[in-house]
Amino acid sequence: MPRLTFAARLIILAAVLAGTCLVAAADAAPSIRTRAAVNTAQSAGLSASSGGRALDPHMAANTPSASLSAAFEPERLGGRTTLRFGFQITVPGGAVPPALTAVSLSYPESLGIAFSRLGLVTCTVAQLEASGVAGCQENSIMGFGDATAEISLGSDVVGEPVPLTILRAPDEEGHIALLFDAVGTTPLNTTAVFPGALLPASPPYGGQVSIDVPLIPSVPGAPAVSIVRLRATLGPSGVTYFKPLEGRTIVYQPPGLLLPNSCPKGGFPFAAQFTFVDGSHASARTVEACPARASRRR
Amino acid sequence: MIGFLKRWRIGAATVVVLLAVLASTAPAAMARTLKATDTAHLYKVSVSGSNLIEQGKATGTLPGKMRAIVNIGATISGTFTISVHGVGTITGHGTATPHGSGRFESFKGSIVVTGGTGRYAHARGETGLYGTFDRESEDYALVIQTTGTLSY
Repeated sequence: MPRLTFAARLIILAAVLAGTCLVAAADAAPSIRTRAAVNTAQSAGLSASSGGRALDPHMAANTPSASLSAAFEPERLGGRTTLRFGFQITVPGGAVPPALTAVSLSYPESLGIAFSRLGLVTCTVAQLEASGVAGCQENSIMGFGDATAEISLGSDVVGEPVPLTILRAPDEEGHIALLFDAVGTTPLNTTAVFPGALLPASPPYGGQVSIDVPLIPSVPGAPAVSIVRLRATLGPSGVTYFKPLEGRTIVYQPPGLLLPNSCPKGGFPFAAQFTFVDGSHASARTVEACPARASRRR
Repeated sequence: MIGFLKRWRIGAATVVVLLAVLASTAPAAMARTLKATDTAHLYKVSVSGSNLIEQGKATGTLPGKMRAIVNIGATISGTFTISVHGVGTITGHGTATPHGSGRFESFKGSIVVTGGTGRYAHARGETGLYGTFDRESEDYALVIQTTGTLSY
């Protein structure tokens, strides 16, 4: 039997402990809508071969910074589109950032989200927790994405890709509500539902998507899971809807967000604010340039 | 002659006083209030992003035609003009928040009447606003109901 390194032994020990403690830890925090369990074998295997970065506690204390990206695909003024957006969070030295607790993404004025014909039905947290996305109607899906979570296991950092589904939820307190369903499988077998809402914003922004990110426990004694990267779409790309018509079911792609007929001076502005569990904040801005005149819708 | 002048002055003074009294009471006497409930069915004239220009028929206490410029974003806001047949127009603005989900987005808020033309040149009021927006409709159909008191 090959000798295990100290790090690998530590990881296996942590994973075994996590297998008995993690569900209890999740249950002990009722505000965290998270179902979490550890796939022990996969966790140990991945961790041992991850080649992850070593943690530096001094670096981890540094303030995180963020970058933001946003683009319309296609970008034709007056036309329908999908918004692609993403962010990345880093701390100096490449350490794991503190866990994210809230994100607010501001989008440009005059972006016709309400006219997208996305989210024609709603899905609830209870439905997602009971059956996952399969428990929701397809016509509630508004977009997809993937996040990268980083988990501290011993002295290693393991990255976990987490597919996302964005769904329409029943309005809450006079705000259009969204749900972000995240399903991680390896090394943490975790499902988390992030509630979001469309809130007003000051010009040059038309509104902001405010997302509460629940703390996702990793292993006992270790910091909560950190979301370090996210890429997502809000729009018809990859989305299929169904509607009954004369006794048949029609399969179609919803039209998508409606771009204004003219481009704001300087382009379409986006901004994001990030709040972390340690109370620190980061912000980022980006501008999607106006389309070339030739690509404008006639 | 002096007696005539005195009587004329007294008479003139009385008329001035009466006119002054009338002038002070005239606005109150002429102001009217109207408890109105109207429903408008609006359809797209043009759309750009989240901004809609809509118009349609208004029925109820003030029947006529309604034209509205509406922004449907995180909240719903806009300006409107109601043209009452042969009487005048009423203008104002309003805001609302969504209260509903899915295909039919309902919203609730208030509108402020700020003026108008014709009989409603001095129109003022604040009324409740309720509406629905059909998100699947090709013509961006809006139904708006207002209930409140209008003074003019």
